[in-house]
Amino acid sequence: MANDFTTDILNHLLSRHLHASQKWLSTYIATIRPNTPLPALKQTCLFRLLSTDITNTLTPPPSGRFPVDIINGQIQSREIAGPIVVQVLDVEDIGHSRWSQVEALESQERGETTKGREIVRVVHGEAETDNENVSNTTSVGPHKLLLQDAKGAKVYAMELRKIEGISTKMNIGSKIVLRSFTVARGVIMLEPGNVTLLGGKIEALHKAWRDGRKDRLKAATSANG
Amino acid sequence: MGKILCVAEKPSIAKAVANHLGSGAQARSVPGLAWLKNYTFNYNFERWGQSDVVFTSVAGHIKNSDFPDRYRKWMSCNPSDLFEAPIITTVADDKQTIANNIKQQARGAHVLFIWTDCDREGEHIGTEIREIALEGNPRLQVLRARFSNIERAHIINAAQHPIPLDERQANAVAARIELDLRLGAAFTRMQTLALKPLVDPSGEKIKVISYGSCQFPTLGFVVDRYLRVRNFVPESFWSIRVVHRKDNIDVKFTWKRGHLFDRMIVTIIFERCLVSKTARVTKMDKKPTKKWKPLPLTTVELQKMGSRFLRMDSQAVMKTAEDLYTKGWISYPRTETDQFDQGMDLRRIVERQQQDNNWGPFAQGLMNGGFSQPRRGSHNDKAHPPIHPVNYVTPGSLNESERKVYEFVVRRFLACCSTDAIGEATDISIDYGSESFHTHGLTVLARNYLEVYPYDKWESSQQLPAYTVGETFEPTEAIMTEGQTTAPGYLTEPELIALMDANGIGTDATMAEHIAKIKEREYVQARLRSGGGGGRALANHDAEAAPRGGRGRGRGRGRGGRGGGDGRGGGAAGNGGMQEFIPTTLGVALIEGYDNVGFETSLSKPFLRKEMEAQMRAICEGSHTKNDVVQQNLEQYRAVFMRTTQQMNVLKAAVRKYVLGQQ
Repeated sequence: MANDFTTDILNHLLSRHLHASQKWLSTYIATIRPNTPLPALKQTCLFRLLSTDITNTLTPPPSGRFPVDIINGQIQSREIAGPIVVQVLDVEDIGHSRWSQVEALESQERGETTKGREIVRVVHGEAETDNENVSNTTSVGPHKLLLQDAKGAKVYAMELRKIEGISTKMNIGSKIVLRSFTVARGVIMLEPGNVTLLGGKIEALHKAWRDGRKDRLKAATSANG
Repeated sequence: MGKILCVAEKPSIAKAVANHLGSGAQARSVPGLAWLKNYTFNYNFERWGQSDVVFTSVAGHIKNSDFPDRYRKWMSCNPSDLFEAPIITTVADDKQTIANNIKQQARGAHVLFIWTDCDREGEHIGTEIREIALEGNPRLQVLRARFSNIERAHIINAAQHPIPLDERQANAVAARIELDLRLGAAFTRMQTLALKPLVDPSGEKIKVISYGSCQFPTLGFVVDRYLRVRNFVPESFWSIRVVHRKDNIDVKFTWKRGHLFDRMIVTIIFERCLVSKTARVTKMDKKPTKKWKPLPLTTVELQKMGSRFLRMDSQAVMKTAEDLYTKGWISYPRTETDQFDQGMDLRRIVERQQQDNNWGPFAQGLMNGGFSQPRRGSHNDKAHPPIHPVNYVTPGSLNESERKVYEFVVRRFLACCSTDAIGEATDISIDYGSESFHTHGLTVLARNYLEVYPYDKWESSQQLPAYTVGETFEPTEAIMTEGQTTAPGYLTEPELIALMDANGIGTDATMAEHIAKIKEREYVQARLRSGGGGGRALANHDAEAAPRGGRGRGRGRGRGGRGGGDGRGGGAAGNGGMQEFIPTTLGVALIEGYDNVGFETSLSKPFLRKEMEAQMRAICEGSHTKNDVVQQNLEQYRAVFMRTTQQMNVLKAAVRKYVLGQQ
């Protein structure tokens, strides 16, 4: 019985190209309460896995990892079949100056946002929901991402075509499946056809990223100017 | 024969209206005031029959509100007492003669016919006149005239159709007067007592550090921009440009992404373009396009255009427009309306302009079949039509600023009655590598309204050769370029007016005064923008960049609106001579000080004042009473007042930092 469970769960994860490690899986299965219906088990399992650091929890086959020389800048362009599961370590809006992003963050901190020329006060509590409607704080992009595979290799990626879900508001640590994609000079070209967003988040990374964002933008601005 | 007492808001209106109604009206000076005249004549009113008319005037508000003596001395009370101290409203000392004249003329009259301007302020002045007249004669019937220009037929029509005074509008003004007095006095005293010893230890340079609930948010906008300019850090960006030579024309294609702020990424993308060798045409569109004629003229738009094109600040523009109005050349210059009433005979107005040497031929063209009904904007204050010329006046008989404003009003009006400019737009898109590039061409086919309206620019671009979709070619040149973002400019007057308008600071009638006030208080300095031209827009996509692009055809209300058939050919034309504002150290210190006291209700932000303006409108609509509004606002401001006094050290620290240069 337990085996059926495991197989079902395993298949559920594999259908998303998630090769969970034996170790993680058995830890998870140990926490299962008897009589939990299978669909619920599958869901919580996926949810938990997506909240982990994949360098600890996934053991993909070789085709599920970046080639070792992926960041070789000598190679003008090459295709990689994948599928490869990666997690997002950083996302930058490169369509807008860093300083304008700092200004936007600061006006948010003051509890303001602008709607055309009108200054709108953000009422506390509505900030998370309404904010997106009145302001242009959702980044337009294009975005540059730093992605990491299960082996820990880090590669830059460029949002070549607009991809729903990629923005400076996305979760750090969220997981993406890449398939038949181009790598040019060590940078992955992201297009809607080769990207599937699985979601998820690594809470600690996300918090640190968000808290440090303004300072990073400021530092990058002065380095650049 | 009954006696009708007519009272206008200014002597010039009394004179103009009296002369329209009674040919040969007799002017008698009122003893004690050289400029005050009573015009007497006979007139046959539809409503009251043949009557003896006395037409006199006031000069703005007659009554003055102030605290009783006990509170008037600065040290006599705690400034916070002024939130509830009694207020007495009396005839101002210098208005006694005017009041007595009205009282005297009211005796024996059976009707008081008020001819103040038809706006909130005019309504309130009307109630002041009524109170004084009723003291002289309690049995008076009181009515007012509704008019929006001093043209003869319009005035006669107004004389025949009197209406009651609008008590609600008068109440809104009364609420505003009370709030301005209490808040102005309380905050001014509080901050002067606390800060003046720091700013001006000798006590000789400045009298007060004044506060006004419109002044401060206005100053806040200026300081905000100033700090943005000062804190700005330039950044590099990179772009890709493609040129293709065809039919001896160098066609320049621009990158659809504009530019990106990451050199590595642009380099990689650029290489991918080069590697792909050929570009492919994905779109070749030729289609008719239009540049829409402007909307009928509102006050805010007049002020913005005035500082942009006439080299006059908003206050000077308004002053001149009022002079032109009282002389009967243009309609009432304080209006929010940007749609003409369907019933209005606009052709008759056009007709009068045919004799002019400059725009006369254009007006003739409109009369000979070129006329087209003006566009309708979405605002109607239900009191006044858009600003338009009333009668023709030869430019030679006007002074220089009058001539400029009159010409602008006439040209704008004729443009409104003309037709959109017509052109043909060509849009070509290509795919090159993974990227899209684009070029745009414009051929102006018929200038139409632009002939009479030089304030808009719309010019033909370079001719583009023909391409067909699917066609491939090898670009003649593809280069990666580098640029840098530049700081925004200091806030200009049109920008400030647009901000005030969008954020509900002041009414279109008072904005210019608030701007003048912060200059007078030495919170800001105005200087001519150097270099001129709109090229200082941010080079990146900051929030400021977007509205600037299309400002050549600003909607007047800063609310997006229809962008016109094609904004790309437009843009601002020659805006040298525009004023820009830089705050003084004291100005920066006050704003930062209040901001640091607590953001939620900072006096430097527009929120509190905006709410107050909304409540004034609610009084006019009858949904709020004057008393509710006054009490509610006093409570809110009192909370800010208390917090400010508790945290006076925060304000002082800001003053030390900026004014005294101490850290």
